[in-house]
Amino acid sequence: MAGDVPEDAPEGKEYVLEGFAVPDQLDAVHSLLAQAAGDHPDLDPMDVMLFETAIIEIANNVVEYGRPEGEVRWKFVIRVHKDTIEAELDDTGQMFMPEQGKAMPGEDAEGGRGLPMAEALLDKIEFKRLTDTNHWRMVRRLGQTPQM
Amino acid sequence: MSFEEVDKGTHVVLAPEGKFNLVAAPPLKARIDDLVAVGKNRLVVDLGAVDFIDSSGLGALIGGLKAARQQGGDLRIAAAGDQVRAVLKLTNLDRILSPYQTVEEALHGW
Repeated sequence: MAGDVPEDAPEGKEYVLEGFAVPDQLDAVHSLLAQAAGDHPDLDPMDVMLFETAIIEIANNVVEYGRPEGEVRWKFVIRVHKDTIEAELDDTGQMFMPEQGKAMPGEDAEGGRGLPMAEALLDKIEFKRLTDTNHWRMVRRLGQTPQM
Repeated sequence: MSFEEVDKGTHVVLAPEGKFNLVAAPPLKARIDDLVAVGKNRLVVDLGAVDFIDSSGLGALIGGLKAARQQGGDLRIAAAGDQVRAVLKLTNLDRILSPYQTVEEALHGW
């Protein structure tokens, strides 16, 4: 018997979501992060909130632009480390090349903020095309939140 | 996500709930466009029940603001929570969409 020691200690636990990259599944991404945050009560809620904002923008991108529409599958993995929180996202959509490093659009723009928002909220955002999937890695350092 | 709508005569209050995201933003923006088209161009979006906004939600607010102002009206937001305020600041949209504490405050001058 393992006694009181949980089989998956939160420190090493991966939070995994697999399914279709469709609008209804965005709630599942929120829930996945909420589950990770719930297991780590020491996480600053502001860090969680801003990380959530960032990863949802990337998820939105896959939902909106992944093709064939409605048939793209994705896998989200969230990990909480001592100094960082990270998410990896793989999707089966067509090859995609994000325009990284773009400035935040002007005040009048009705679109184009998703990726700049994610980049502003993450300390690291990596993208690469693997054989059959697009791969994102998103990392936020913990405890660096400026006054918003 | 659903939203409540109350027509007060001088203005209309729209109150989305939950996640104001790429699912919820298009119907709210469409409703704003319909209201502006019939002359209801003083609008308050009560965000008190919104716990999360994404760039689509921001886009709907900006689009609604532009539509209302083009017809001589305005769109104001009220009761924004922490996440909404953080995102408005991050995107510099707090300069043109300054959040009012309450719906009542947002009515100032109307």
